[in-house]
Amino acid sequence: MSQLIAGYLPLFDLYLLHLGLAFSQYIVLRAGVFSLASAALAGIGAYTAGIFAVKLGAHPLLGLTAGTLTGMLAALFLSIPLARLRGVYQAIATVAFIQIVVSLNIYSEGLTGGAMGLNGIPKSVGTGSLLIAAAAVTYLVWAIERNRLGRAFNAIRQDEAVAASLGISITWHQSLAFAISGALAGLFGGLQAYHSYALDPNQFGFHLLITILSYVILGGRNSVLGPLIGTAILIILPELARPLAANRMVIYGAMLIVVINYLPKGIADTVIQQVRDRRLRLSGGAS
Amino acid sequence: MLAQQLLNGVVVSGVYALFALGFTLVFGIQRILNLAHGAIFMTGAMVAYYTVAGGGPLWLGFILAIVASGLLSVLVELVCFRRLRKTGDEEFGGIISSIGAGLVIMSIAQQVSMTQVLRFPFETFPVVIFKFWGLRVSMLQLFMASAAIILVIILGYFIYRTSFGRRVRAVTNNEHAAMLMGINPNRIYSQTYFLAGALAGAAGVLVGLAFNSINFVMGEPYLMAGFVVIILGGLGSIPGALLASLVFGMGQTLTIAYLPSGLTDTVIFAVLFLLLLFRPHGLMGKEEAGNLRGRR
Repeated sequence: MSQLIAGYLPLFDLYLLHLGLAFSQYIVLRAGVFSLASAALAGIGAYTAGIFAVKLGAHPLLGLTAGTLTGMLAALFLSIPLARLRGVYQAIATVAFIQIVVSLNIYSEGLTGGAMGLNGIPKSVGTGSLLIAAAAVTYLVWAIERNRLGRAFNAIRQDEAVAASLGISITWHQSLAFAISGALAGLFGGLQAYHSYALDPNQFGFHLLITILSYVILGGRNSVLGPLIGTAILIILPELARPLAANRMVIYGAMLIVVINYLPKGIADTVIQQVRDRRLRLSGGAS
Repeated sequence: MLAQQLLNGVVVSGVYALFALGFTLVFGIQRILNLAHGAIFMTGAMVAYYTVAGGGPLWLGFILAIVASGLLSVLVELVCFRRLRKTGDEEFGGIISSIGAGLVIMSIAQQVSMTQVLRFPFETFPVVIFKFWGLRVSMLQLFMASAAIILVIILGYFIYRTSFGRRVRAVTNNEHAAMLMGINPNRIYSQTYFLAGALAGAAGVLVGLAFNSINFVMGEPYLMAGFVVIILGGLGSIPGALLASLVFGMGQTLTIAYLPSGLTDTVIFAVLFLLLLFRPHGLMGKEEAGNLRGRR
């Protein structure tokens, strides 16, 4: 039995790492920002943490703090120009940002190791630390959802004009969502650096963007359960069907098409909605 | 040296123009950013390769590539976007859905090609080099440039001189009004997607011939370049996309020639980023590009 668990431990670690990144993507979408920058922000956090450990020999906690802060600062910096854009234009700008980060990473060989990647990072993060981080982040996102902040995000996402007329500052809230998203991406990027010995610049490119986005789309974009469920399904699915593992990307692609067309709210949100409707109907019938 | 680079730049621009025209056409008509466009481009190159590898002549490969990528593009529209347009969530959903389509097409191509880089057999296209005024021009470059120009002219004729083009422009302007005039928008969409896909497929064959290297991810750099070109030209603007591909093709060729290698991507995407900030509607676009104040 313990062997069975040990066999699936790496998968569980991957789940926790990607869960953090999924929340990073979730929080910006929730605030109505069509940003896809989480992959790049995670890269920035991971490299900062990695460089702190390899070049400076810093304590992991210090490295993680530095990674989180750089991720957050980069996101705040990015939010200033993005506040001027909407919709598709935001998406393109953030894709451009990802490309800039990847190519700068490859170019500045002295600092980041260039295309060879950053190697020899001491492993200091295990399942336990990941679990704590993921639980803390889940709580944070859940708390935001129950808070005034979550309702403000909802209002902005649904209609900016209405939100503004209710006295909700759009720029401020979207910058805040960006900062949280950047901090989460930076933290989990840093965790990834300390978990996997080595970093590769292309690891944080377009591919990661698609992966993270799929988690949130599949799970749902309006409740904290969305990323939790979406990430779980997409990480476990290729393992359940080993022969399908080679076709992982076909599954991802087909799933994106099917889900956005037929379940546009994602699995978790659709179920929640149905439960809520049912309850409403039942109480309506009783009264 | 500079003149030679400029010449190379023109040839590259032609390919970008073919790619970006379809991209911008589709955006103009549906407000959808079709991220599967790069995969459709790659499909064109693959179809041409397999035709030639199977013993067919190159011209047949070219035609088959154009038809196949056009049809694939129509299929993408049917499967990914048609339903979304009814629910009205096409801006966000379209991006997601087309990322999915791109992934599926690319994974299939990866398995068909067994993740290998495919090369046309030697002398598929005759290697002839002309020299004049100290410049070197290969027959292939001439072919690429003239193919691009001819296809662009054909497209221009279709869009601006035929009744089909008038219908396309009508739907672009206002789908509802076009419908009242008895135009079936769904048909126009299919036809536009076919044109867009066919142009991308043609670009794919040209690129495959020029670099003689075809693989399943070859579309990605062109998709990224396509972003820059259509933003630079103004989303949805055909003349803008033409001008922008010239500017972009030249700029890219010159940065590769004169800047430290490895910085090209950084420069290009930094320019795109700045462009989005200061002139999001591009060189010739009219739209108040998603600017909050402009729209609401």
